[in-house]
Amino acid sequence: MPTNQGLQTKLQKEIEELALSITEIVVKFRELHNPLRESSEKVPQATEQLDKISEQTEAATHQMLDRVEEIVQQVEESKSGLEKIRTCVKENRIDDIEGIIQDLTNKADVTCNGAYTIMDALQFQDITSQQMNHAASLLEDIENKLQSIMGVLNGRQDDKDKSSDKETGKKNRVYDPHADLFEKKTEQSVIDDLFAKKT
Amino acid sequence: MTDLKILAVDDSPTMRRIIINTLKRAGFSDVIEATDGQDALAKMKVDKVNFVITDWNMPEMDGLSFVTTLRGMDEYKSLPILMVTTRSVKDDIMEALKAGVNNYIVKPFTPETLKEKIEQVLAG
Repeated sequence: MPTNQGLQTKLQKEIEELALSITEIVVKFRELHNPLRESSEKVPQATEQLDKISEQTEAATHQMLDRVEEIVQQVEESKSGLEKIRTCVKENRIDDIEGIIQDLTNKADVTCNGAYTIMDALQFQDITSQQMNHAASLLEDIENKLQSIMGVLNGRQDDKDKSSDKETGKKNRVYDPHADLFEKKTEQSVIDDLFAKKT
Repeated sequence: MTDLKILAVDDSPTMRRIIINTLKRAGFSDVIEATDGQDALAKMKVDKVNFVITDWNMPEMDGLSFVTTLRGMDEYKSLPILMVTTRSVKDDIMEALKAGVNNYIVKPFTPETLKEKIEQVLAG
């Protein structure tokens, strides 16, 4: 049987160890707070960015489909024009051909312009690619924070080290966080004024 | 105007194709391309270019560093440079202006705007 003195010493030691453990837990919770807060802020940002990509890709696709439909219409009308020329030749109505050829030339111009419009609209790929990189970067930040949380929970420093090693192997993401297909923060006319003032 | 040799610098292969096609439509057929600032500087050692169109956000060397580097070299102090980028925040535009960019277009651009800005820069 331990003496009162011995029991008191043992109890004091236990309490001291408990106090140390509580302090350690408090420190760990403090360490967890920032990554958790940062992660919870970044999830909605990443979601918003992915929604924007989806909306802007759909809008750009519709613009291109409109032009493709116009081009198909022009090609159908051009085929019909070529049939008319064939008929004119068969019936020896040479004078009527000139008007049809002019009409076909106009349709070819419209078709060509439609194709150029599609090419211009394809700029959306660069913009959505930057938006994707922004979203991916936010998700990678969340992944890093979660790894650091796991490190704190497991009481290991090596998780942090692993994430920093992983970071070096990650894709170098270059993007404009404000890249947008439809909304420009500064209009071209304002940019023109800024450059005009310089000269 | 047509004897102009233009260097188009953009890390996006899609954008480079669009820019080159747009330039050809506008009558500028002599165009070479580079994927970022470093690649552009290497190309400029081989080919003499007299007009640069550059993006901003690129790996290795971004557009702003590229412009700053060029302006620090005697032979390129007055080389016409047009920046074509998604960056539309006014502070960014001011930064490009200070770095020595001659004009600035925000993507997506129209072929008319690209042609107009090239002509404006060339007219001085």
